[in-house]
Amino acid sequence: MKALLYIAISATVMMAAAGCTKLDVPVESQLTTIPNTQEGYVAATGSVYQKMSSQSFAVDFWRVIELSTDEAMIPNRNGSYYDNGSYIKLHKHTWTTSDLDAPWNWGYSGISECNRVLNLLSKSDSSALRTQFTAEIRTMRALFYFYMMDLYGNVPITTYGSTASPTQSTRAVVFKYIESELLAAVPGLGAPATVTLQYYGRPTLWMAYALLQKLYLNAEYYTGTARYTDAITYGNKLMSESGLSLEKNYMSLFSPTNTANNETIFVAVFDANKATGNYFSRYTLHGTLRAKYGLNFSPSNAMCTSPEFFDLFSLTGDARDTTWLSGLQYDFAGNKIMNGSYQLNLTRAITLTDAATMNVGPEVNGVSCGARSIKFYPDPNAVNRYQNNDIPVLRLADVYLMQAEALLRSGGSTATAVALFNKVRARVNAPTVTTLTLQDILDERGRELAWEGWRRNDLIRFGKWEGAWGFKTGGESTSRRLFPIPATELVLNANLVQNDGY
Amino acid sequence: MTFRGKRPFPRHAVLLLFAVLLHLKVFAQTGDIKGLIRTEKGEPLPGATVILTRNASSFSKVTRTDSIGLFRFSKVPADTGYVIKASYIGYTTHVSERYSVKANDQLSVAFKMQENNGQLSDVVVIGYGSRSRSEMVGAVTTVKKEDFNVGVYSDPVQLLQGKVAGLNISRSGNPNENAAVILRGPSSFRSGTDAYEPFYVIDGVPGASIYSVAPGDIESMEVLKDAVSTSIYGSRAANGVIIITTRKVRSGQSHLSYSTYGAVERISNTIKMADANQLRSYLAANNVTIDAINNDGVSNTNWQKEVTRTGFSHNHNLAYSGSNQNSSYGVSVNYLNNEGIIKGSSMNRFVIRTNLQHRAFNDRLKLDMNVTNSITNGKQIPSQVLSNMLTYMPTVPVKNADGSYYEDRSRTTGTGGYYNPVALINDNTIQSKANILLVNGIATVNILKGLDFTTSVSYQRQRNDTDLYYNSASMLAQDYTGYAQRTNVSNTKKVLESFATYERRFNKHNIKLLGGYSWQEDRNGDGYQVSGYNFVSDDLKWNNLGQGNGTTVNYGNNYVSTLRLISFYGRAFYDYDGRFLFQGSLRRDGSSAFGRNNRWGYFPSVSVGWNLQNERFMKNVNFVNVLKVRAGYGVVGNSTGFNAYTSRLIYGSGSSYFYYNGAWINSLTPIQNDNPDLRWERTATTNVGVDFVLFNNKLSGSVDVYDKRTTDLIGDYTVSTTQYPYSTMTANVGAMSNKGIELALSTTPVKTGKFSWTSSVTLAHNVNKITSISNDLFSAPQFYTAAFSARGQSGISGYQIIKEGMPLGSFYTLKYAGKNADGKSTFVAADGTISTDSTAFTNFRVTGSAQPKLIYGWNNTFRYGQFDLNIFVRGVYGNQILNATRADMNAPIYANTTNVPVSTLSESIKDDKDHFISSRYVESGSYLRLDNATLGYSFANKKNYQLRVYASGNNLFIITKYKGIDPEINVSGQTPGIDNRSYYPKTRTFLLGLNVTF
Repeated sequence: MKALLYIAISATVMMAAAGCTKLDVPVESQLTTIPNTQEGYVAATGSVYQKMSSQSFAVDFWRVIELSTDEAMIPNRNGSYYDNGSYIKLHKHTWTTSDLDAPWNWGYSGISECNRVLNLLSKSDSSALRTQFTAEIRTMRALFYFYMMDLYGNVPITTYGSTASPTQSTRAVVFKYIESELLAAVPGLGAPATVTLQYYGRPTLWMAYALLQKLYLNAEYYTGTARYTDAITYGNKLMSESGLSLEKNYMSLFSPTNTANNETIFVAVFDANKATGNYFSRYTLHGTLRAKYGLNFSPSNAMCTSPEFFDLFSLTGDARDTTWLSGLQYDFAGNKIMNGSYQLNLTRAITLTDAATMNVGPEVNGVSCGARSIKFYPDPNAVNRYQNNDIPVLRLADVYLMQAEALLRSGGSTATAVALFNKVRARVNAPTVTTLTLQDILDERGRELAWEGWRRNDLIRFGKWEGAWGFKTGGESTSRRLFPIPATELVLNANLVQNDGY
Repeated sequence: MTFRGKRPFPRHAVLLLFAVLLHLKVFAQTGDIKGLIRTEKGEPLPGATVILTRNASSFSKVTRTDSIGLFRFSKVPADTGYVIKASYIGYTTHVSERYSVKANDQLSVAFKMQENNGQLSDVVVIGYGSRSRSEMVGAVTTVKKEDFNVGVYSDPVQLLQGKVAGLNISRSGNPNENAAVILRGPSSFRSGTDAYEPFYVIDGVPGASIYSVAPGDIESMEVLKDAVSTSIYGSRAANGVIIITTRKVRSGQSHLSYSTYGAVERISNTIKMADANQLRSYLAANNVTIDAINNDGVSNTNWQKEVTRTGFSHNHNLAYSGSNQNSSYGVSVNYLNNEGIIKGSSMNRFVIRTNLQHRAFNDRLKLDMNVTNSITNGKQIPSQVLSNMLTYMPTVPVKNADGSYYEDRSRTTGTGGYYNPVALINDNTIQSKANILLVNGIATVNILKGLDFTTSVSYQRQRNDTDLYYNSASMLAQDYTGYAQRTNVSNTKKVLESFATYERRFNKHNIKLLGGYSWQEDRNGDGYQVSGYNFVSDDLKWNNLGQGNGTTVNYGNNYVSTLRLISFYGRAFYDYDGRFLFQGSLRRDGSSAFGRNNRWGYFPSVSVGWNLQNERFMKNVNFVNVLKVRAGYGVVGNSTGFNAYTSRLIYGSGSSYFYYNGAWINSLTPIQNDNPDLRWERTATTNVGVDFVLFNNKLSGSVDVYDKRTTDLIGDYTVSTTQYPYSTMTANVGAMSNKGIELALSTTPVKTGKFSWTSSVTLAHNVNKITSISNDLFSAPQFYTAAFSARGQSGISGYQIIKEGMPLGSFYTLKYAGKNADGKSTFVAADGTISTDSTAFTNFRVTGSAQPKLIYGWNNTFRYGQFDLNIFVRGVYGNQILNATRADMNAPIYANTTNVPVSTLSESIKDDKDHFISSRYVESGSYLRLDNATLGYSFANKKNYQLRVYASGNNLFIITKYKGIDPEINVSGQTPGIDNRSYYPKTRTFLLGLNVTF
């Protein structure tokens, strides 16, 4: 039996010799490092831009900054969209510390992505591309900080690789930081005459200028120190150095096929397949409008606008009036659109059957409450209800109106202000003006920039945040100008101090 | 190449020659011994092992009885003092001494072997070996073929449902769904059911797929429950180990058997939904109109009836085996066709198994080869059928006048979707095919007396193909005219096990030693998914993706993952005089899945046992046949259901792109943090048990008490992205405990002449508690789980909560406070006030637990002559189920758009929160089910064959307060006990079967 013994022993030895105590296995279909190539660094910056081209921006963040204004609201539609009162709280400014996590998470994950990518870039070989990417990502980070400071006030400035929980900086310090970051980015940024496809969706020099202009315009509210002259300086630099001009066709700026143009400065780019998140038609239109717009889905009938805001659209000949659907609805051939056995009627007025739950009740006689926006025009090529319209964040019309406002506020040239204001008016065939008040500017910003995400910032700057609209009675404490730091964040980071009033 | 000098003779050849010569050594004076072994009944016993030894010398010979019970030793040296020892599984070893062999003479012997009665003398299969019952020191339950459940089963584990104390199994009526299994409570709170599944070992192959085995081919299953028994499987054993032993060939036997059954299955219970007339009059009485599209005024469709059918199922199992002196073979073929009770759903499985054994060198070398191939074809239905068959409006027809399916296309997709369930079945084809090949080669060498060396090499390849086609009318692909998708993925597993065993008995000492090495590599997810859409015709389904006009391909998320496990293990067992038993084992496991700093771990166990019946002081205690006390402690790990790369930093593209330079390109971003400290979840179990056989084998049973403590539970913790690349970290933080008691009793109260009654009961009680979910580095006040969407109720983080002090599966809902004067539902707010509006998440609280207090089974077998009757009752007590299906249906405000149960018709139509998920829908999940009754008749033993016919009924009745279709809702996973609009109804089965053996 020794033979068997030897065979057994040699078999054992062979197996032991095969060494098999190695546990390193290959990772075959995923990357564990970023490739140290130009393509690798291009791909690495992608996550920053995906923060913009996402549902977190176009739905979650957007709802917070728009449903809290007079521009947009979601009434409780007979139990649908009650959603435990979350839209009612936004509408009536009665949110609590657990209602506003989404913007914080979106903004700080964007900042973290920027920090991470900047760290990665700092380790790459020096090149023109590295300089440009570094400047672009710093600009993006400044944009995220701008949003965070605008929404939450005193927020932490974070760095990559730190293991300590960050501490808050005052709003003035964050302001200073954003300003210095943008100024530092300026030399590295691309400066095409207009934002071409090469730069579409990424920062250019014009974005840095426009953001600086916006920062300085709000400086008085943010820091107590007015910086209107600086706002005017950067507005002028943008207007003189760039080749930007207003697009003739207002609606083309927001259409499903919108792309690089003469006016748009910075944009969140969307694609129904590849970068999903734009749900405007889904959440705005009534289900019965499906056929009219050739949609391959039935819209969910949620969002509308407040009657007060809708009333701004009353200028003679204003092309922007066509961005709203209101009243009895017809298809393009003039046939009635039926809602049950009645014609669909999107009323300006929003009538409640139950005030406590802001419930408009069941749809009776074809009536569905609230005017609907088709500014981001319905996309017949939507996939899974996602549409292809890109969402502008900064564009020249905004720059013109900011410039006019800064001039007005700083006692600058009224003629220039009126001229800039009239450029915006003329483009949409609305009546031009000869005199200008701040209220005119606020109203015009509402008409021009409706649903583009700036209304909250504007209302606060104009002191109208505590006003009454819809079912909001107004007169609340000015502490509501800041959102509360999310309760979950306070748990994660003991250094954070809650904003006053929460 | 040239040779210089003599070519050396190969050393192996020298050894072999030497070995052969040894055996050719001729003795001058020899004689023969021949013998016959029979059972007590006088039938010949084939396959028994017969060993011939002589006390005074080292002489030893082994043979086996042939098919008619004969054995023969030839050329035995003429001498005195020979001992013949015969053994066979299930029989008491027989020893005869003092035989003398005379030269040139033939000695004839004959004896009968006695069957083992009491369960304690059976052989129990344990990890890497087997033991007699009396040597067992751990908690192991053996279920033999004759005790398996009877029914249309595709999942072998269903054979055990209710039969093993502590093993909780649930399964719906879906022929394509696997059973959910959980042993002695959960010891993880990870998502995914794999993390809760026991570890399966099939014929010694660890981790083999149980779907490669046909239930008809299984001889026995052992459920290893405590750490003493399971720790030899180390890091994978925390959820218990189930060892499956299949039918094996035995030398000296030839065998042919055929068994078959045919079954009729029906839906066991339906929900009483309002019919069209009831619904119309309810709405009319409340002045609520239904849009014309949802009411044609005449239709009265019973959707549950429209989608269900009587399913016919049948199973065939043909097995044959044969042997000669040195080799034996066995082949079995099994075919199961299981038609689901919902139209369009079915599965069939074809399993072929072969095993070959060759013995050489006087049986000292045994070579085994087992090959199994299992092919499963499944036809599935979209899950939305299960909700729409309840809530689709009865006021519309199945089809329009033009023959097309009726649909309301103005409805939004979204929560579950509102689709014609009959159209869903017919417009969508989902097919799956799984092909599992398992090859296992084992070589066992007997090196010295008592010392065996075994090497086993296994290879398993599973190929899963899923084909899907949503046709141009499908509501599931409204964006497209036809959507096709194919997925082909292969998973392979290679296992090498090499171990030595040494068994020696001298005087009163009995020693059993084991030492081994194991290497395993699983390579999963090797495959791809492709899709196409916008087809010219529906005829080709998925068969010609290139014909689609769509441009975007859905590649899915397939990643290759390779997991390597390397282990060293050892076990020492000692018993003194059959009275005192000691065992210690240790496994050192390494796994590539864990962090660099924690890849290796030790899993020890120690145990003691005391067979009191063998003590002198028990000699006069006549009513005790067996009385054993045992206690053990051990540590095991849980690393199942785990992504192989969880501990590593991974960059991924996700499914989103970004716009760069005028084009959409893939980005690279971290999708997972690096955690070099990640390790397995660690479960330490203390188990104390008593086994007894009393009153002359009339009553037997065991009691086990255990305390199972799991630490290092893995959870996903939110971390600050200022510190880490990714926002969550998978880390070992939490702790959990399971404490329980299990009782198994078996008795034969009546045994008179032709009649006997045997009854057995299993009872198990377990208390699960999460003891911690935070540590210094990572903390979370709680995790909300089971966040599903419900109408008008978004903003809810979850309907279950994982929190310290609570069991896993704690329901977290509103507290219902009855209806107010207006007939509206009210709820208790966090501050204790009661109102209709306090429905925000802040008002949620714990309202129940999915963990049962007691699970039980009661089996009775009656025999009268050739008749046998088996009645099996099982049940669960003390758990709750969240009946989200009922909550969703019970929505009078939506009664003009989705149907409601009859019970809703008596509620106010103004109650807009009637359907809000609250304690009202946290219902008792207790049930008692008459799971099976089988009547069999065995024809009197014919000369050449045995024949048994039987009739059986499954799920004959159920006693429960649960208001859903059936309370047997998934018991496993992170979120057990939730019935949420996707329950495939349980079936009631009537079955006729036949077994014949030649």
